[in-house]
Amino acid sequence: MVDEYGGRWGYRLKWAYLLLVVATLMSPVFYVMYVSFNENGFGAANYVFTFAWYGVIFSDRLMLNALAWTSALAIVTTAITVPFAVLAAKFYKATRHKVLTLLLLLSPLFVAADIMGASLLVYFKNLNGVFEYVGAALGVAWVETWFNLGFMTAVVGLIVYTLPYAFIVVLITMGRYRVQQTEAARACGASGWRAFWDIEFPQIRPGVFSACAFTVILCFNEYTRTSLLKGGFDTFTTVLVSQMLNEGMSEQSYAMSSVVSFIAIAAVGAIIVFTLIKSEALERQARPKAEPGT
Amino acid sequence: MTPETMTPDMNAPAPPAVEVRALAKHYGPVKALDGVDLTIEAGEYFVLLGPSGGGKTTLLRTIGGFHRPTAGQVLLHGAEVSHLPPDKRPTAMVFQSYALFPHMSVARNVGYGLKLAGLAKSAIAEKTAAMLEMVGLDGLADRKPHELSGGQQQRVQLARALVLDRDILLLDEPLAALDAQLRKDMCLELKHLQEKVGITFIHVTHNQEEAMTVADRIALIAAGKLVEQGSARDVYETPRRRFTASFVGENNVLDGVVASVTADGAMVDVGGAIVHAAGAGAAAGMKVAVSVRSELVDMSAAPGPEGASLPARYRETVYLGLITFHRAMLANDVELTSRLISTAGVAWRPDPGSDVHLHWPPGAARLHLD
Repeated sequence: MVDEYGGRWGYRLKWAYLLLVVATLMSPVFYVMYVSFNENGFGAANYVFTFAWYGVIFSDRLMLNALAWTSALAIVTTAITVPFAVLAAKFYKATRHKVLTLLLLLSPLFVAADIMGASLLVYFKNLNGVFEYVGAALGVAWVETWFNLGFMTAVVGLIVYTLPYAFIVVLITMGRYRVQQTEAARACGASGWRAFWDIEFPQIRPGVFSACAFTVILCFNEYTRTSLLKGGFDTFTTVLVSQMLNEGMSEQSYAMSSVVSFIAIAAVGAIIVFTLIKSEALERQARPKAEPGT
Repeated sequence: MTPETMTPDMNAPAPPAVEVRALAKHYGPVKALDGVDLTIEAGEYFVLLGPSGGGKTTLLRTIGGFHRPTAGQVLLHGAEVSHLPPDKRPTAMVFQSYALFPHMSVARNVGYGLKLAGLAKSAIAEKTAAMLEMVGLDGLADRKPHELSGGQQQRVQLARALVLDRDILLLDEPLAALDAQLRKDMCLELKHLQEKVGITFIHVTHNQEEAMTVADRIALIAAGKLVEQGSARDVYETPRRRFTASFVGENNVLDGVVASVTADGAMVDVGGAIVHAAGAGAAAGMKVAVSVRSELVDMSAAPGPEGASLPARYRETVYLGLITFHRAMLANDVELTSRLISTAGVAWRPDPGSDVHLHWPPGAARLHLD
């Protein structure tokens, strides 16, 4: 609501405050980007603009390997998490016990990342012991390695981490969807799946795609769970952090950080802009329905 | 089973379009439907009328397969369908609002069911165009739902349902989102459309004028139960239940005690005055209710010439254009209303607080035992 009795300067002050907050949050990121274009690197008195460090990224095999592992984790996690999130959001809309459902689905967010990662690590270790015992008892060797730390355990950890976020993102879009449309499709002869695919999915598609982008970004951001559950310290964030700790921040590290930050900001920005446009379009569609017909 | 016994009996009467037997739908302790029995014949325009939250929409949705009954059966054309989802039933449905697919054009909305049925594109286009013409929307096939008015959107829903060639159409408050004038116009259109296509229409509404405009028969649903059913005229003029009298029309309902039983009803003591009420089943001393339609109640300074006549204190006049309400209080503080055509109203205009007599012709009052 616009306060039409508020002063002009009060309004400008609010905007100035907002911009100051955003600048404070984003300044470190922009500074890293600024350094990544300096041929002389961080702290040099003489700033010489260059793209050279971005070229060097592709010669750093360790970093490229880490990027590949994280990309694979992100793809598999997204492929599992987002359908789960859609199902969870559908269940949430249908159930009468909404508060309980919401609490259960968001509960992983209330556990600190370190504790959740360590808990999963202990859990998988124990589970691994059980499966080793079962495998040995049955004489089936391949069962014994199911819960060895590796790609699968890291995926499980990332699903637990990203599912609540993806659920919320899908739910926001699904909140506008009218269930009468599914019922109308069923009355036309559509099965439950067909009604979802033909009628509901096209309308929640922006939310699903947003959840996909968000999940990928979260996978790239994640350090604790992947370092504890993946093993090998060979994912993007773990490599970047260990490089920083061992050798200090290299120039190509600045460049890589800038690339990833830029992609994340661009993706989130695109999602926000797209969602705003879509939201406005939906408002336009809803307005004539809310008014008495003629 | 021999082939002879499998041959259908051609002389057997066709089963009703819809038969509901002891139907119940419970949500925990709440009984949305409680043992409803109902039969709707093929080709009928049947209206489920009742107050909000009474269970009429739950009944319609259970017939359509959107609710699984807690107990009882739903039979469509003699076949038990209680276990079937909506897409497996021979019904189509028109919803109150928000049920058009916003990402599809009008033509795609109407043709969606035909596409699911596997019809060829040319057949879909042909049937869609014919149906849009029938509901008066030819020329709007390429528009999106948000580009249509509320009335046009409901027409699209009608076309989408009728194009499926199902023989039972369920309408869940289809006119509720429309303004008053459009609702009146579309009521008549619905009635004429039903006569044209000849299929069974089951229409849910809480608006009695809408119900009486379209219905061959009306069923009153309240508190999860079927209260009463009959033709619009029967339900309006000769309600059997007290609830019907209080819900349909503008009836005065008076509580009383049966003083004596007569051949066609009873003499009932309503707050000191004895009035005759038509109806069966009364016994002396029984607590009953008497209803009189307000348009049959007249008002004068002196007692009426015949029928019942009750002394009252005049309270106020409410002018509504064609109709004027006259409200008066009986000696036992029960309000009675006389509803008269404004231009043919009482010749004298009583002052508030003055003494009047309210009277009605013999046979106008109905007896209600419940």
